[in-house]
Amino acid sequence: MKIFFDLLVMALTSVNSLLKASWDSILEIYSMVYRLIIGLPELLLRFVSLNTKPLIQIIVIPGLAFILLFAVIVVWFERKFLARAMLRVGPYYCGGRSGILQLIADFLKLFFKEIVIPRDCHRALFLTMPVILPTIPALAVTLIPFGADWVLFRAGGLSLPMFFAIAGFSPLIPVFAGWAANNKYSVIGSFRAAFLYISAEIPLVICAASVAILAGGFDLVKIVEAQSTIWFAIPQFIGFIIFFLGLIIESERTPFDIPTAEVELVLGWRTEFSGVLFGFTMMAEYVSFLSWSLLFITLYLGGYNGPNILGVPLYSNIFWLLLKLSILVPIVILIRGVFPRLRMDQLLRLGWYYLTPLSLLNLFITLALKLLGVLS
Amino acid sequence: MTEAQVEPEIMRISWGPQHPMSGQTRILIDVDGEVVHRLIADLGFTHRGIEKILENRTFLQGIIPIERMSMVDTANMGLGYVLAVEEALGIEPPERANWIRSMICEICRINSHLYAFGLQAESTGYFPAVFLWTTVDREVLLDLMERLTGARWSYNFIIPGGVMNDLPEGFQDKVKEAVNYLRGRFEQYWEAMVENATFEMRCKGVGVLKREEAIRLGATGPVLRGSGVDMDVRKDEPYAAYGDLEFKVVTEAEGDAMARLKVRYHEIEESLNIIEQVAGDIPGGPVRVKVPLFPRPKPGEAMSRVETARGELGVHIFTDGGMNPYRVKINSPTLRNMYVFERMAELGRILVADVPVILYSIDPWYLDADR
Repeated sequence: MKIFFDLLVMALTSVNSLLKASWDSILEIYSMVYRLIIGLPELLLRFVSLNTKPLIQIIVIPGLAFILLFAVIVVWFERKFLARAMLRVGPYYCGGRSGILQLIADFLKLFFKEIVIPRDCHRALFLTMPVILPTIPALAVTLIPFGADWVLFRAGGLSLPMFFAIAGFSPLIPVFAGWAANNKYSVIGSFRAAFLYISAEIPLVICAASVAILAGGFDLVKIVEAQSTIWFAIPQFIGFIIFFLGLIIESERTPFDIPTAEVELVLGWRTEFSGVLFGFTMMAEYVSFLSWSLLFITLYLGGYNGPNILGVPLYSNIFWLLLKLSILVPIVILIRGVFPRLRMDQLLRLGWYYLTPLSLLNLFITLALKLLGVLS
Repeated sequence: MTEAQVEPEIMRISWGPQHPMSGQTRILIDVDGEVVHRLIADLGFTHRGIEKILENRTFLQGIIPIERMSMVDTANMGLGYVLAVEEALGIEPPERANWIRSMICEICRINSHLYAFGLQAESTGYFPAVFLWTTVDREVLLDLMERLTGARWSYNFIIPGGVMNDLPEGFQDKVKEAVNYLRGRFEQYWEAMVENATFEMRCKGVGVLKREEAIRLGATGPVLRGSGVDMDVRKDEPYAAYGDLEFKVVTEAEGDAMARLKVRYHEIEESLNIIEQVAGDIPGGPVRVKVPLFPRPKPGEAMSRVETARGELGVHIFTDGGMNPYRVKINSPTLRNMYVFERMAELGRILVADVPVILYSIDPWYLDADR
């Protein structure tokens, strides 16, 4: 606080001295700027030493490095893994050192490609929406506990509702982006995206609510702690299945990648984006996949719970969470090689006729068992 | 085809030719939200004037452009033209040549149907799995054809008066091996496509074409047989060796995209049977009769019908006594089926997502529609 006060005083003094507009005061400003530049590393150091933990959380895990690394590893893994399922011979060999060079080439290609901006698009929205897109699921990741005291954003009893509040923004972005691009494929794709997210989110919220009833609170840390004896996948089996489907729908994975259906709509609402903007939209898909997978693990698969095998509890907590993630992700990816895509009306029927009533049923069963005292 | 013809609430999507799935055509789709009101097939992007080219070629040279009408189904296309030329010249090929012709045509039919499988799977959003399986399985047959004709595509092997060469040494055994391999692989397609719940949801009851409609609109090939009409030129007017070979005409009653797929599936089984019969009891004798290099048929007309993989191909040749045909008229199967496709939106309620499924269930090959 004192640092900022100092800076404020400096700024005020500089303004004052400017008003005087004498040579002396100008020299004084120079000396102040000089002092500031000299003092900057010290200021930074003080900031770092005070706040090491949030800094590591922001930069390493569950922050920037983890999210980017997840996206890169999943892209690589999906390419290699599905190539085997599909008999695609190219990706077996492509990309030098087991495919890593191809990732770098892809990245460079996306960055140096020309960004084509359609003439009749809404320029501001068109340029901003893809950039905002990955930040929304990334914000949701900050709420996930990676250890008992390793949560980037401590929302306490609000963390689960907050996750859904943040995730609730995600349908808006494709709608804006598709509208801004002013392309017929994009418009149809964006409305499909809105339908898709809404039909999945309601059952997901109801399932999460029954988990919260079981755990006795909306705090994600509490929910994880409540699963230290038994994972909620067993008492909440219906919810477990519904949430698994919902996670695939929300992250637009293949049986439900209706908004970007390639054979119908070229790439849906992504059609007009090129170069790095397209890269952002694709990254958003993987970040959203990450955020929903992490929530799924936290709610049903015991979150970071697990035996302390690495000595330090925090390390083993992170290890167990990542292990569960690395088992869940291939299962979701494999579905892409096995199922064709559903149609929009079939998805809506699935969401509204089956998933929503089933999740309500699950909620009532949970409530009844809780009131009867079967589940403590 | 202009925007002005569209009603205000209706949006017209131009689906193709710059589209990952459209192929070399443009489908104009009038949609209200997701519901399709009208389909317009805008063909002609690959028009090469094959009919005109044939007028400027001698009868033997004509085989080359006409086989390019459908690359996966070259032998059937070429046979249609060759039969018409033979009729004009009044020559009869030897029996052994007829049997070899039947075998090549069935191999092409399997190639083409496998390709149709792959595209049908792709059209439902099956990630390329099935498409690549079919591509790999087709290799067996392409190797076989390379051994026989020296080319993987567009063989130019069927010529007026017979076929180019006799079967090479040990070819029959290779054929039997390939047939056994394909029979072993076929379960997989049935499981991945017909028995896959999601695929069934996408294809069953989509693009229903009733029996009467199919006849009225002039559908042909698997589209017609998928609607329960028992019609196959190979059976009705046997050409090549089909009169001596045993096979069934496959029909399905439902008339939807899945029925057409099942027709193709069972037709492949029948084709494998035919190939096996040919490899087993092919008669001996010469494989070609002497035909002059520049034959000059008498003035008149000749007409032939063959059953290609996509349906009936009609070739009508007018001759004026010269070295070249005076006029060649080709009635191509895809054009007839595209006419049916355009009316699908009137026959039943379809959504945008159904358009590729229906389009690839009629198995279009625009090169033969545009000629």
